[in-house]
Amino acid sequence: MPITRRTVLCATTATLALPAIARRGLAEEPIRIGWLATFTGPLASPTIGFDRGVRYATDQINSRGGVNGRMIQIISRDTQGDPSKAVNATQEVISREKVHAIWGPVNSGELLATTPIMARFKMPSLVAGVVNSLIDPVKYPNAFRVTPSNIQWDGAVRNYCKNILKAKKVAITADATGYGTSAHDDSVASFKKDGFEVVYDGVIDPAQPDVTPDLLRAKNAGAEVIVSWTVSAGMAARMMNARGALKWDVPIAGHPALGTGEIGKLVNKPEYWEKVYQVGYRNCSYGPDGKLPKADQDFVDSVRGKIPLNDTSLWWVASGVDSIRLIAEAVEKTGSSDSAKIIGYWNTLNMWPGLYGHYSFTPRQHNGFLDSDVVMSKANSQRDGAFDLAPGYA
Amino acid sequence: MLAAILAAGLGVGATYALIGITYNIMFSASRVMSFTAGQLGMIGGVLGALFINRLGLPIPLGFILALAGCALVGVVTEIIAVRPVLRALDQHLYVLSTLGFALMIQTFTAIEWSTEPQPFPRLLGIGNGGPLDEKFWLPLAACAATIIGLELLYRRTLVGRAFLAIAEDNFAARALGLPERNLRMASFAMAGAVGGLAGFAAGELLLAFFANGPNLNFYGFVPVALGGLGNNRGAVIGGLALGIFQQAANFLMGGVVASVAVFAVFIVVLLAAPQGLFGAPAARRV
Repeated sequence: MPITRRTVLCATTATLALPAIARRGLAEEPIRIGWLATFTGPLASPTIGFDRGVRYATDQINSRGGVNGRMIQIISRDTQGDPSKAVNATQEVISREKVHAIWGPVNSGELLATTPIMARFKMPSLVAGVVNSLIDPVKYPNAFRVTPSNIQWDGAVRNYCKNILKAKKVAITADATGYGTSAHDDSVASFKKDGFEVVYDGVIDPAQPDVTPDLLRAKNAGAEVIVSWTVSAGMAARMMNARGALKWDVPIAGHPALGTGEIGKLVNKPEYWEKVYQVGYRNCSYGPDGKLPKADQDFVDSVRGKIPLNDTSLWWVASGVDSIRLIAEAVEKTGSSDSAKIIGYWNTLNMWPGLYGHYSFTPRQHNGFLDSDVVMSKANSQRDGAFDLAPGYA
Repeated sequence: MLAAILAAGLGVGATYALIGITYNIMFSASRVMSFTAGQLGMIGGVLGALFINRLGLPIPLGFILALAGCALVGVVTEIIAVRPVLRALDQHLYVLSTLGFALMIQTFTAIEWSTEPQPFPRLLGIGNGGPLDEKFWLPLAACAATIIGLELLYRRTLVGRAFLAIAEDNFAARALGLPERNLRMASFAMAGAVGGLAGFAAGELLLAFFANGPNLNFYGFVPVALGGLGNNRGAVIGGLALGIFQQAANFLMGGVVASVAVFAVFIVVLLAAPQGLFGAPAARRV
């Protein structure tokens, strides 16, 4: 082919234009976020709340033109609470869907299986499990916890028992699940270390029809508070019913499941749900003035009528919003969806103000949730997915 | 304290005993250990809560419909999970077929009902949660009524004698012209109703929960083994003993350790009396 001036001109123009075209092409590439959660099955309740937050934050960011012109694309997979399905979903979204970051899975059993896989791919991941071993900045430098750990939950309960309830003798109960057994062991050790006298401790089958004998043991041992680590609404309600039947005026404090709406239907009398305090979050709790902290109050007011909150927990929705915003902000500030840059950005966060709580990370500390954001709430006080602070908090 | 443990133990034990009787009725009619017995108890509670709490039916009507529903499930069990494997009893295929059907029942209930325990209605409103509360003695009353009813049926009625004939020797019974298949279906319907009665009477204790089935299957089998297969009176004594021992162990040792203690005693008893405490050693024709 003869080389003419016209050929040279066209080739030069194309060469000069290529980077711009390429840049534009990249700019339009969506930010793909893997959203792995238990959408179906018995453990699906939290996902319903999380998902509302994820969709809300995504729609909000995309409606404003996305992040640096890039839309957020949520790639969700249903893990059904099954670790093997979670592993498959993790590998699929990383290898085939080429996601830039992952949020989920949202229960500890699945996370124990998927966290090493995400680490192998250096995939930025936000962790919503409470099991302590999930976070290790040396083994898993890509994993950042955006919920409290078991230690923080336990710490909130211990502080409340010690400083506000002024209890010295505690009874510690847990259900006979993997989570319950581990929480029981950790809790007994930490309460003893903190100077409490653990007068009774027991791991109870959540299907046990009547827990009166267990509570009788605790009562006879002189317990001044019952600490409960169960996710089973049935077991928690049976405990409250047995306490009521024994006319034992002792507080119960523990797992956030103590405030689940199902318990309200299962207690024999509404007053049996009194003096029950669950782990809660300052940002998602009503203060003595009956209002949430301003950012969360504004959020609740703005989504009223758009996102149902009365059938879920506000913190689930808030956590979903925060996670998408954390990923979006990392891409916005670094101008890149590169894994290393997202991880590097998260490592610099200090008191990042989320709806759910404040997050701080360093390269050596990936438990980001602030201790003081974990508080105790009145279990029977749910309104719009949030709870009243337990008595004794300012 | 003793009263609370006794009340809880007797209430729970009577429920186990009724599930044991359910096993026995199905076994007598078919020589099959149907592992749907616990699920029938679960369905009794769920249907009771469905008819009375959700649909607002009067308690007597809800009770009758719940038992009828369970009887229907019993018949379906016979048709789907038992009849096809009767010719190969020695291969024990019924273990797989009845367990599979039990799993289907549980999954269907989880999808259609709820995966969370649901409240069961207060039936009579007697008691305040203490040892005299109805939730403890209703299963006992149901157990007593069942055992008396079954004794009357088997001893005083022609149909009852036909049931016994089938249980004794179904070939001979057929040779005498007894409708073996219809009697077997009737037995499974009766077993369904007894299992449903267990779940309904103990609904305030167990709640209407889809996951109650495996527990009832498990603990309901213990009285059968303790009392001797096919021996209803033995099942009642075994069930009540199990309930009291279980609650006492909960008090003395607590939670999961108590379950270990229950099964340790169970194994020791079976080692000492393999045919059960009230069962006779099986005779073998030589």
